[in-house]
Amino acid sequence: MKKFTTRYIAAAASLAMAGMAGTAHAADSVNVAFFLEWATPNQIAKVDKAYDDAMGVDVNWTDFSTGVQMTEAMLAGDIDIAYSQGLAPFVTAIQQGAPLKMVSIAVVYEANDCFVASSLGINSSNASELEGKTVAVPLNTMADFSFRKQMAALDVDIDTMTIVDQAPPDGAVSLADGSVDMACIFGGASAKAAGEVGSPIMSTQEKTDAGIGSFDVVSVTESFANENPDLVRSFLEVTHEANAAWTASDEQIAKVAADAGMDVATTRNQMAGFVFPTAEDQTSNFFGKDGTAAAAAESLGLVFKKPGAWNVDEKIAKVMTGEFIE
Amino acid sequence: MAEWLSDNRAIFALLTIIGLLIAFVWSIRVGVLQTRLRARDEVFGDPERTKGGWYWAVCGVAALMLVWFYFSWGAARAVFPNAANELCQIAKIGESLAPISAALPVRSRYLKSTTLAVRNSAQLEALSTSMPEGVFSADEARRLETSVDRTRQLIALLSNPEFTSQATKRSLADVEGQLADLTGKLEAGPGDMMPSPEALTQSRWGTSEVEIPMLPMTSRGVMFDHVSAELVDVSKDFLSIRNLSPRVEDMIASTAELINSVKKGEPQVDLDENGAKARKAYVKAVERIFKRIDDATIFPAQAMEGINNAVAKLNATVDDAKGGLGIVEATFFPGQGIVKSKTQCTEQGSGRWLPKPSDVVVTFVTLANPDMSGGGGYKGTRLLWWKWLSIADVVGFLFPDSIVDMLPGDYGTHGVDGEFQPTYKDHMLAFAQGDVYLGSVPMLDGHIWDSLFRVLVAMAFGIMLGVPLGIYMGVSRLFKSFFDPLIELYRPVPPLAWAPLILTIFGIQDDGKIFLLFMVAFAIMVISARTGASGTQLSKIRASHSLGATDRQILRYVILPNALPEILTGVRISIGVCWGTLVAAEMLAGTTGIGFIENVARTVSDYELIWVTILIMGLLGLLFDLVMRWVIGKLIPWRGKG
Repeated sequence: MKKFTTRYIAAAASLAMAGMAGTAHAADSVNVAFFLEWATPNQIAKVDKAYDDAMGVDVNWTDFSTGVQMTEAMLAGDIDIAYSQGLAPFVTAIQQGAPLKMVSIAVVYEANDCFVASSLGINSSNASELEGKTVAVPLNTMADFSFRKQMAALDVDIDTMTIVDQAPPDGAVSLADGSVDMACIFGGASAKAAGEVGSPIMSTQEKTDAGIGSFDVVSVTESFANENPDLVRSFLEVTHEANAAWTASDEQIAKVAADAGMDVATTRNQMAGFVFPTAEDQTSNFFGKDGTAAAAAESLGLVFKKPGAWNVDEKIAKVMTGEFIE
Repeated sequence: MAEWLSDNRAIFALLTIIGLLIAFVWSIRVGVLQTRLRARDEVFGDPERTKGGWYWAVCGVAALMLVWFYFSWGAARAVFPNAANELCQIAKIGESLAPISAALPVRSRYLKSTTLAVRNSAQLEALSTSMPEGVFSADEARRLETSVDRTRQLIALLSNPEFTSQATKRSLADVEGQLADLTGKLEAGPGDMMPSPEALTQSRWGTSEVEIPMLPMTSRGVMFDHVSAELVDVSKDFLSIRNLSPRVEDMIASTAELINSVKKGEPQVDLDENGAKARKAYVKAVERIFKRIDDATIFPAQAMEGINNAVAKLNATVDDAKGGLGIVEATFFPGQGIVKSKTQCTEQGSGRWLPKPSDVVVTFVTLANPDMSGGGGYKGTRLLWWKWLSIADVVGFLFPDSIVDMLPGDYGTHGVDGEFQPTYKDHMLAFAQGDVYLGSVPMLDGHIWDSLFRVLVAMAFGIMLGVPLGIYMGVSRLFKSFFDPLIELYRPVPPLAWAPLILTIFGIQDDGKIFLLFMVAFAIMVISARTGASGTQLSKIRASHSLGATDRQILRYVILPNALPEILTGVRISIGVCWGTLVAAEMLAGTTGIGFIENVARTVSDYELIWVTILIMGLLGLLFDLVMRWVIGKLIPWRGKG
């Protein structure tokens, strides 16, 4: 009995300690979050240990399945840098008061598509017929943002629609079954399945013309940026070097595919839609005065704004900085 | 009224905490007295011992609430409503000082200079032994070796206090002096500093979107705020200091030139593609380390001593100036305390993910507000309210449209004037689709009702089909052997495994979700009814049989009452499992429901909303269980008395 009690006390005490333990640590190693099945040139640098060499510390890579989880891990102190976190989870994290910073753009890619069931015969020219229809949308993701921007561009009132919260694979199935009329999708496999039974409401060109695009960011915790600006700088430098060295040769693609956990063809397809902005492009266009990064984050912040929330846009502009890009 | 309550939530929380403490102590006292009173005439294991004892329930709930108040920092906010604002000002000092602290062994074990010198020396060591063969001429190799060597010497020069220039020493002393000045200011105390009128009108801790008010609201806070503002400039000064002296500058210039001569110069040996790559990579590596050193941010350990002491003194003074607040922070703010980030002060620790009880109440009240234009409800649906349900809709739901299609004749077309000319079939169709008025009945509406409805309907079907089947399986060889393999085959499959199939078979409406829950309830009901029926004492059945009871009478008056305890336990278990499966079911295609709210709240880490949904589900489950206990008490009063 006594032994039992002691054990309970020990367990409770260790729990309490875990809750209180600070995150103070010297930067002997840096923990980076990334996505599997999201092919980027810097994976070559990752495999070749170029990051470890350039930063002079051990770089530990941990894979995550959603950007929200990246935020959680950063707040818990387990992750210092999140590479290619989605803009949507970053902005919602800021809105919830998370001490994070956007220091660079990782990948720029085409906005997620919304597929309309082929049988309806609706395209961008008669999009108003979508009113009153049922749409599958993974809420609070980049696909949600893209859906709202596209509907706004096509002048469709989304208040008249029935919005169903579905993960992309489920949305694709529901579209095929005809239980929803349109499905907004992210992810290669789901988009392919949805493309079989539907067609995108806006073409690539139309989306570009309407200024609807999306990008992933590199985010760091504020404390890490304050304490180790040199490491953040080296990290971005290596990333940009890797991007610059990218020629999409077979050898490179094979290396990235192996690390991303995909086959070569899928990797090639996925990367064909990616743009990796150079350091100069980022400092002048994305992070400069009236930069696109701030504009996109602000409009996304307004879309996801909680009722009664305060000046969201102002808050977001302050946590974006290009100072670490050289 | 609601606004006033919301603004003063800290005071209500304080009253609640005092009430809870009293309840906690009082219930323990009553409990101990009662236990002592009954201790003599009770036998261990007697079920009567567990009857009553509501005071221990009070004690348990009070303890849970107090733990919640404590770890959510609700107690801190109730007792010290201004503490967060002051701690935020202190956190500002921490943030402003961060660039200097980062160079010192404050949050790490070593000086940043030490780390840099050691780490880069080790890398230089590795570099000098790993020069690739055959890509450099002897001359180039010598030049690179010299570069590596000189970089090493550079580290030594920077680390040696003898070579620190007077200017650098002056700059460091200057920063040290400024830090001492600020320490002096903190020691002098706030004096007649007053918070600005703007600061005093800020909304209180936790009552608006801005979690913690930023501007200092106390005179002590104003002092910390001033110091932190000045510290920003001191930190900037510190960051601009370079450990440059004529010797160091010479060394940097000559090394840079040497590296450049190899980098820019034409290779003096013939190279293939791989060779060129190796050559480039090696020069780059040498240059990279040199570039890290040529900032001259490595300082001798002795040179940093002054600043280190000044910062330590400053931190100690901040701790002194905190006074009682330090104890409050250590005891009432479990976790990392309050952290200042770029735009706001945030709670880091359990206060971040565990919302305060009073905030949960406010979120719940906002959610439960039936006035949707006033910000109530969630995603266009109320939490729990009522609406008029058109009877025609129910008829339309029960009456399939395809029956009308089978009637003879055609549907109407538009006439020559362009107006629709309906036939009798169109009128029938309107009836089948519920487009006629047949009166309305009041009906519950909202997220809670939708979830409740799904669970209740699934349970009803589960009981109606599962109990008879289970009882027959308990008494009939045919039923048992026929259904046993089917039931046992599907029962162990977790409900989530069915989810993808449900979506494509039933679509996104309620029927799929209800079916998923039904499958859970059905299996449990069958098993419990069967166990109950087959567990009937044989002597009872034989006795009633010899007294002339018919099969029907045996089933109704002997087997069913005997199976009832098992069946009711099955109902209790299956309701619990149904609630557990509900979140998954509503994830399939969410439009309404408690599970839907939680799924969406999860994607934005809205912890208050997540906890509200958890509590709603817990309370509904508790409510169900209380009802079931009452039903059990009424239906089978003989349970446990045999």
